[in-house]
Amino acid sequence: MVKVQTGEKILSCAKVGFKGVVSHFNDEHVACRLISMGLVPGCTVEILHKAPFGGGWYVKSDSLHIAMRIEEASCIVLR
Amino acid sequence: MESERKPISVALIGNPNCGKTSLFNYITGLQQKVGNFPGVTVDIKSAETKLPGGEVISWVDFPGLYNLYPTSRDEKMVVQSLLDTKDIYHPELICYVADVTKLEKHLLLLDQLRDMQIPLILVLNMVDLAQKENLEINATLLAKKLNIPVVSVSGRSGEGIGNLFNAIKEQIVKEQISVDVQHSGYKFSGEETNIIEELKPFFPSFSAYKRLLIAHHASWLPFISASERIHLLSILGENSFKSLPFQVREVTQRYNFFTPLISSVLKKKLIDGFTFSEKLDGLLTHRFLGLIVFLAVLTFLFQSLYIWAEWPMMIIEEGFSNFSNYVSTYLPDGWFNQFLTEGLIAGLGGILVFIPQIALLFFLISVLEEIGYMARAAFLFDRIMQLFGLNGRSMVALISGGACAIPAIMSTRTIASWKERLITILVTPFISCSARIPVYTVLIGLVIPSKTVGYIFNLQGLAFLGLYLLGIFAALISALLLKWWIKSDEPSFLLLELPDYKLPVWRNVGLTVWEKVRTFTFEAGKIIIIISIALWFLANNGPDVKMEAAKKEAIRVSTERQLSQNETDNLSKAYLLEASYAGILGKTMEPIIRPLGFDWKIGIALLTSFAAREVFVGTMATIYSLGQNDDELTLRERLSVEKNPETGKPRYDLATGISLLLFYVFAMQCMSTLAVVKRETKSWKWPIIQFLGMTIIAYISSLIAFQLLS
Repeated sequence: MVKVQTGEKILSCAKVGFKGVVSHFNDEHVACRLISMGLVPGCTVEILHKAPFGGGWYVKSDSLHIAMRIEEASCIVLR
Repeated sequence: MESERKPISVALIGNPNCGKTSLFNYITGLQQKVGNFPGVTVDIKSAETKLPGGEVISWVDFPGLYNLYPTSRDEKMVVQSLLDTKDIYHPELICYVADVTKLEKHLLLLDQLRDMQIPLILVLNMVDLAQKENLEINATLLAKKLNIPVVSVSGRSGEGIGNLFNAIKEQIVKEQISVDVQHSGYKFSGEETNIIEELKPFFPSFSAYKRLLIAHHASWLPFISASERIHLLSILGENSFKSLPFQVREVTQRYNFFTPLISSVLKKKLIDGFTFSEKLDGLLTHRFLGLIVFLAVLTFLFQSLYIWAEWPMMIIEEGFSNFSNYVSTYLPDGWFNQFLTEGLIAGLGGILVFIPQIALLFFLISVLEEIGYMARAAFLFDRIMQLFGLNGRSMVALISGGACAIPAIMSTRTIASWKERLITILVTPFISCSARIPVYTVLIGLVIPSKTVGYIFNLQGLAFLGLYLLGIFAALISALLLKWWIKSDEPSFLLLELPDYKLPVWRNVGLTVWEKVRTFTFEAGKIIIIISIALWFLANNGPDVKMEAAKKEAIRVSTERQLSQNETDNLSKAYLLEASYAGILGKTMEPIIRPLGFDWKIGIALLTSFAAREVFVGTMATIYSLGQNDDELTLRERLSVEKNPETGKPRYDLATGISLLLFYVFAMQCMSTLAVVKRETKSWKWPIIQFLGMTIIAYISSLIAFQLLS
């Protein structure tokens, strides 16, 4: 797990198979969308797959499966 | 409500993948109509049915959304309809559909809707799946805690629909439908309360939360007048209204409210390890194997469009040509006979011939969509397609464009972002469709020698491949240019929910196919009929003097050469076409197309093949007096001996042939596609831009090719 300058752990730095807990989001647009879909702070997130060609991330949280871009994954700050 | 027969409008609203459309299809079946929100390209389905007690209900199936803070056009339309009480789709009652297996994620929007003070019924969908997953829900307790009527149904099997109807009846017989706001999960902050108060004079009848939503959406809501908007925005500025932080706060607070509520009414068995869907995704979204599976699926899709649609298309074509022959034999000769057989019946045939491909493509696509595979395909190709301003789902449209652009363009409906959808629509016709094959066959056979290069490759085969690749290349490059040119205010998101895999509901598949076929036939069909009649008119009529002279000249030449009756007929057809308005047009445009190596004969064929590209072959056959001979070989032989009167060299040399081939690769030579683009973009702007753009590209590349080669 790579730590960015602020010391925050970010989901987009994790590898396939990683499991962690969402602390907060660092972008309000993405935050509003993710919370509305059911990915709220305190949820566990797990990276199941990554698409080829540097493509999407396949993230699991409880019964929810979301495909997201790396830009969106980098808004998810972990505990 | 009185017992007057005014229908009561009931909206189905819910998150994406909540099974709302299955429920709508179950209730309304073939009654449904596709309408659209005024002025935008968002389709909406509605239907009127009668409840068992005789009450008439007007159902509206709104696009799925997660919250009242929309990011796409579809979502904006829902919010707009809910806020504007004068909107034609504004509901009197909302059936809020939630997937019971994901209830803890699906109640946010319900909580927001409650604050809008529109009467609600909570419909717990997929109860059949809940039983399978050992999920127990106490619906009575849930209803009590939320203070909203709760009904359990299954949109797949129809289980519980009767209870839903009863609940609706109970709601509509109430004199005044009471809406409870006490139970709402959201308390406004001080800043929000201020704004709500300041907005009161503008919207006195609106609930507090509706006024707050107006504040969030003041910049785009269409029912706000320009002067009101300026006023509102200045109020928001003065109060330093911050939309996004407020949204996040609200959504989080609502979650905190209903999450404990749900866990008190819902018993769920925790599943250890991976679910079936996750295991299947181990293969289907795998970074290598997933691609192979996707390619296999697309190959199957393409092949079936190509091969399975051929039989029914042939039957339709032959049926229409027999019918047309029958009519022309039994009706007296004359313009009416010709109009019927060559204009109207041919035009109708030209519409119906596309139906097998449309039906087949949408059958396959909606099965894949129902299963849940399409979301995975979008996930796999998101990044590559994004580079070109396209969407993962554009892949399917581009590939099906290889069979026919028409169903391909219609399939873009599932692309949520308008910009990505528009680009897909605009570039798909560059992909070489099956109608270009007859043209390619004639011309390649004519100008490319059939010899083997590099030991195994046939030069003609390579040329064929080259034309296909050129089409793909043109599509991607223009997508790239359009990406820069078309502006969009929608933020680009993927954030796509990957639903669990399910068996398809065949009712949904059938209704999709029916709806697509119906839309094409009756909406795009109108335009196709008009253009094909116009083309018929141009090719069969001309100035009387010229037409008479052509007839006489044909008779003179054939007596002189002692031609048979059949040969005389063919010759006179060729002369008449030359004298017709189409012929005149062809000759008029000769100066424009001469730099491309085309003469007026090709000009006529370019005009008539606007009906459909393959008409090129038939028109050239007529011009060269071969009769209604669609045989590509006969035409090719005839063309190969045609000489250029000025140089004495073959008319169809390499330069002309390549130039013409390039023209057919790039040019928008298909009125049916334009009609569909008009239908899908709801304006003439885009089909006209597309037509001009493609024609200009075709002209320039043919010009360069001819000038370099000749």
